[in-house]
Amino acid sequence: MTQLHPFTLLAIAGALPALAWILPSPAGGLSTAAVALGLAIAARSFRTAVFTAAPFWLFLLLLHDVPTTIAIGLRLTTMVASFVWVVAALPAPRLVEAMVAAGWSASVAYVFAATLSAAPVLRARARRIADAQRCRGLSPRGGLAQRLRALRALALPLILSALHEVDERALALETRRLVPGARRTPLSPPSDPPGQRIARWGLVAACAAALAWRLK
Amino acid sequence: MTRLAFEHVTFRYPATEAPALEDVSLEVMGGEVVALVGSVGAGASTLLLVAGDLAPRVVGGRIEGHVTFEGPGPRGIVLPTPWTQLSGMAFTVWDEVAFGPANLGLPRDEIVRRVDHAVARLGLEDLGSRDPTTLSGGELQRVIVAGILAMRPTLLLLDEPTAELDSVGARSLWELVRMLASEGTAIIVATSELDALPAVADRVVWLERGRVAATGPAALLASDVLVVANLGTTVAAVWRAAGLPSPYPLTVAQAAQRWERR
Repeated sequence: MTQLHPFTLLAIAGALPALAWILPSPAGGLSTAAVALGLAIAARSFRTAVFTAAPFWLFLLLLHDVPTTIAIGLRLTTMVASFVWVVAALPAPRLVEAMVAAGWSASVAYVFAATLSAAPVLRARARRIADAQRCRGLSPRGGLAQRLRALRALALPLILSALHEVDERALALETRRLVPGARRTPLSPPSDPPGQRIARWGLVAACAAALAWRLK
Repeated sequence: MTRLAFEHVTFRYPATEAPALEDVSLEVMGGEVVALVGSVGAGASTLLLVAGDLAPRVVGGRIEGHVTFEGPGPRGIVLPTPWTQLSGMAFTVWDEVAFGPANLGLPRDEIVRRVDHAVARLGLEDLGSRDPTTLSGGELQRVIVAGILAMRPTLLLLDEPTAELDSVGARSLWELVRMLASEGTAIIVATSELDALPAVADRVVWLERGRVAATGPAALLASDVLVVANLGTTVAAVWRAAGLPSPYPLTVAQAAQRWERR
């Protein structure tokens, strides 16, 4: 699956949530959520998808009755699982290469790819900060007050270090000519076989057809 | 011919009134290595950012005076922390080095030529297929330098380039700096590795609180005023600490000669 062209992966990740909201619930949402979670399992990101989606279910249950919670919850789960899957399955450098090969500006491609890679980067940094704080005696367990104190000790360094790094990274990228309008030479553009291009258009057509059917 | 000129340059970072650089005038020509020395906060890094056209254009702030750059190639800057200079868009060291040349839109053949040359110059051949995120600090620093060299800068700005390197790596880097200068590259280096400078720098600029306090040949590092400010070479500092008379020797060889003559 990771060998698919980046645009094909993005098309799948976009089509699943679109279909989840277009198709009638709960069957539509159930089937798209099943596919998205299946993809997440294949990309070894099932736990992340479930833990990210769980709070939405909790809030929905507080606000709605059970059938509405199930209907919306399945759609949100599809969205979350699709995003988590595409982040795990699509390395940012491949996306940049594909976008540049398709004629996009390098800086636009970088911003798009950096958005996808932000979550894993922040997660890794948070883990390092948590380890460092544990070495200094901070425990993330215990009562609510203790957990809140621990959260502050994790969140502040995470945000501040991320902001600091953004500044330095911006300078480094600028000096390496990642500037607006730069026409980058693709080094190893991913292959885009006709079959995948047809499949992408097929997904667009399927979403359009589903929408037309629902509006009829 | 490459030429960088600062004429009475004063620079303030955003939302600050105190200047980070004040009335700095400086000229650097192609083939010359100029070393910036000073205590932390003296303005060396800021001077490099201004010289690299990153301040105020990217970092913001206000500038007075004139900065002129003439040269056939781009300006390249190596910042002190290698981790934050990774593109994040490369699977391998080779791709990381190629990041800059690819952004220049060069033909692929030319990119390959430049990257292979830069990789060889930094001795990175064995690391070419490694994931850059798995490298040590020293290896990463060499990758970042190679990435800048592959862009063929005619003005090279180095901010603490040996901070992550071991002694062998540092010596190789200083040799490379001299080699680049001999090929016509203008180089400004901010470093606290003062003992390396007598063999590397054509000129030393002492910055203090954003101002140029003194400028002169590398022998300046053995002057009384710099040794007192802890900005002299180790040999000069030891000579002074031993109560021996000035002028202080700059290098071990000079100290040995002076000692024999006593």
